[in-house]
Order: sequence, then C-alpha cells, then structure tokens
Amino acid sequence: MRIRFIFYSLFLIPFIVNAQQNKNQSSKIEVKDAWIRVSAQGSNTALFFEVVNNSDKPDTLLAAESNLAEVVEVHETFKRENDMMGMRKVNFVVIPPKSTVKFKPRDLHVMLIKLKSDLKVGDKSEVTLVFKNAGKLKAEAAVRDMQMMMNR
Amino acid sequence: MQKVLINCFLILALLPGCGNDFPVIENLGGSNYQLTNQNEKEVLFPDFVKGKTVIAGYIFTNCPDICPLTTNNMRLIQERLEKEEVDNVQFVSISFDPGNDTPGVLKKFAEIRNLDLNNWTFLTGDKPVVDKLMKHVGVVAVPGDSTVFPSGKVSYYYIHTDRIQLIDSEGRIRKNYPGSSINIDEIINDIKSL
Ligand SMILES: [Cu+2]
Repeated sequence: MRIRFIFYSLFLIPFIVNAQQNKNQSSKIEVKDAWIRVSAQGSNTALFFEVVNNSDKPDTLLAAESNLAEVVEVHETFKRENDMMGMRKVNFVVIPPKSTVKFKPRDLHVMLIKLKSDLKVGDKSEVTLVFKNAGKLKAEAAVRDMQMMMNR
Repeated sequence: MQKVLINCFLILALLPGCGNDFPVIENLGGSNYQLTNQNEKEVLFPDFVKGKTVIAGYIFTNCPDICPLTTNNMRLIQERLEKEEVDNVQFVSISFDPGNDTPGVLKKFAEIRNLDLNNWTFLTGDKPVVDKLMKHVGVVAVPGDSTVFPSGKVSYYYIHTDRIQLIDSEGRIRKNYPGSSINIDEIINDIKSL
C-alpha cells in the first residue's frame, strides 16, 4: 500500500512542478497601482501605473484598452528648452527584464482621449494593457485627485 | 571699515527679499485684455485684479498631464496661503486654447476638481486677444502631436511653456516658475516678501 502511494506520488511530481511553472509564467508581468486622474466628460485624462517584469526576458507594452474614452493611446510627456513641455504618442514601451517601469505624471502615461463620462474621485474602472509576450493583462484603476497622491 | 562692508554683504546675502530678487520681467499694468471668466462674465485683465498679488497659471484643458499638475500646484499654494492667513492674493488660470476652452469647459474643469473659486478665476477669450496676451506674458503654445478621431476630427496637443507667474498688485510680472514642478515653499516665501 505504502509503496503504491509512493509510486503514484512520484508519478504526480511532474504535474505539480508544471503547475508551479505555469503560475510563474502568468505572474511574470505585473501591473500595479493603476490610477486615473479626475477629469470631465468630453475632456482628456491620463492613466498611470507600474509595470513589474519579474522574468529574465524583456516584454513590450504595445497598447492599452479602456471603454472610458473614445481613443486610448500610449503617450509620453517631454521637456524642451525654456520650460516648454509637450506630449507625443509612443508606439511601444520596452519593459526590461527584472525591472519596473513607472508610468507617472510628467512622464509616460496612457492617454484617455475624449472621455465618455465624468470621472470623479472614487470611481473605478477596468483597463487592459496589451503586452507582446504576456498578452492582455487587466487591472482595476481608481480615479484619484493629485492631492491624494501627494499625501500618500 | 572693510570689516563693516563684509558684514553688510553677509547680511544682504542672508536676507531674503534684499537686493533685486524680483526684477520687473514685464509690465501688464495699463494693458487691458478683454477676457471672459468661467461664468461668462467679461473682465479686463489685469485691471480686475489690480491691488492684489496675482498667481497666474497658463493652461489648456485638453492637456492630460502638465496643466492639471500646474492647476493642482495652484490649489496647493491657495491652501497654504489660507492656512498661513495670507490674504489679498488672487489666482488666475488663463487658457491659451480658446477654441476649445469655452467658459463652460473651464467651469467644468474647475468643478470636477472641487476648486475653491472664491479667489480664483478661469479666463478665456477671443483668439487674437489671447494670442496677444500670451506674447506679452512670454508664454509660447504651438500645436504639436495630434489625435485623429474615428469621425475624422483632429485634436491638437500644444507644446507649451509650463508656467506659473507671480504678478504684483500693479500688474507687473515679477517671477516665473515651472508650473507643473514649482517649489511650493519658494513661491509662498516670495509672495510674503514681495
Ligand atoms: Cu498624453
């Protein structure tokens, strides 16, 4: 009986290991601390978050999806001479291995263009980030005021 | 005598507000720009705030990052001044995108952020007037990247001067700050020692 148990247990090991690997696979890219800046219907706003790459391979953010806005694009804010600031679309953002890329104010952001409704503090919405390797990852983003960010 | 002189220099160097901390950058006093506030009321800038220290910010509401930061920094300044019981300061946010920023859009922009408009005015106006004012205050805004909507409509994002200005009670610009990354302590001290 005991021998039979050991025999079957041994037989199960590869499955257990495999399941463990699958779990690691799905958590290789993590999207954390997603938040959206408060803004009015018809206007634009930005979505911010952190992407953690736990794996040994780079991944690439290709796009973002949200049903809050008519158009959703990946953007970056840039600085020019004489205190000039601008913003432009970026086609992809590489997330290097074993690193975190922060999408934050005055930097990278997902631009939500032409909001379908008012976004007030406390509202929540699901957003989707599309990665080349990890595929589509969903995250819940909370609408926040900058005031709250500073007090954190 | 030499020692006295050195001491004088030391004192001058240590005293904030001494020397020429706030040279007049530009004089808006006497110029009257006819603008419209968020309640569709016509005002003459800077005449309507004459006699008050003015904190001016330059924005467009389609801006998702820099201009909300500038606006939030003005709110932080407003809150600090209230806490420290400094009064006679007026806040003015002026849009350089009057085509999109109607009084109603500006009102909504302020409302959704719960801004205290007791001593804060949002301004827009006819494009030629706004353009002339921007030139006068030294704020540059040029259309940059754009978004094309499914409808075919195009919306431009300005590359613009990131600016908050300190204007004295006579309508003279006395100091420029980077609006989205302004040091709040610095401007609070400047307001007090102007
Ligand atoms: Cu953007």
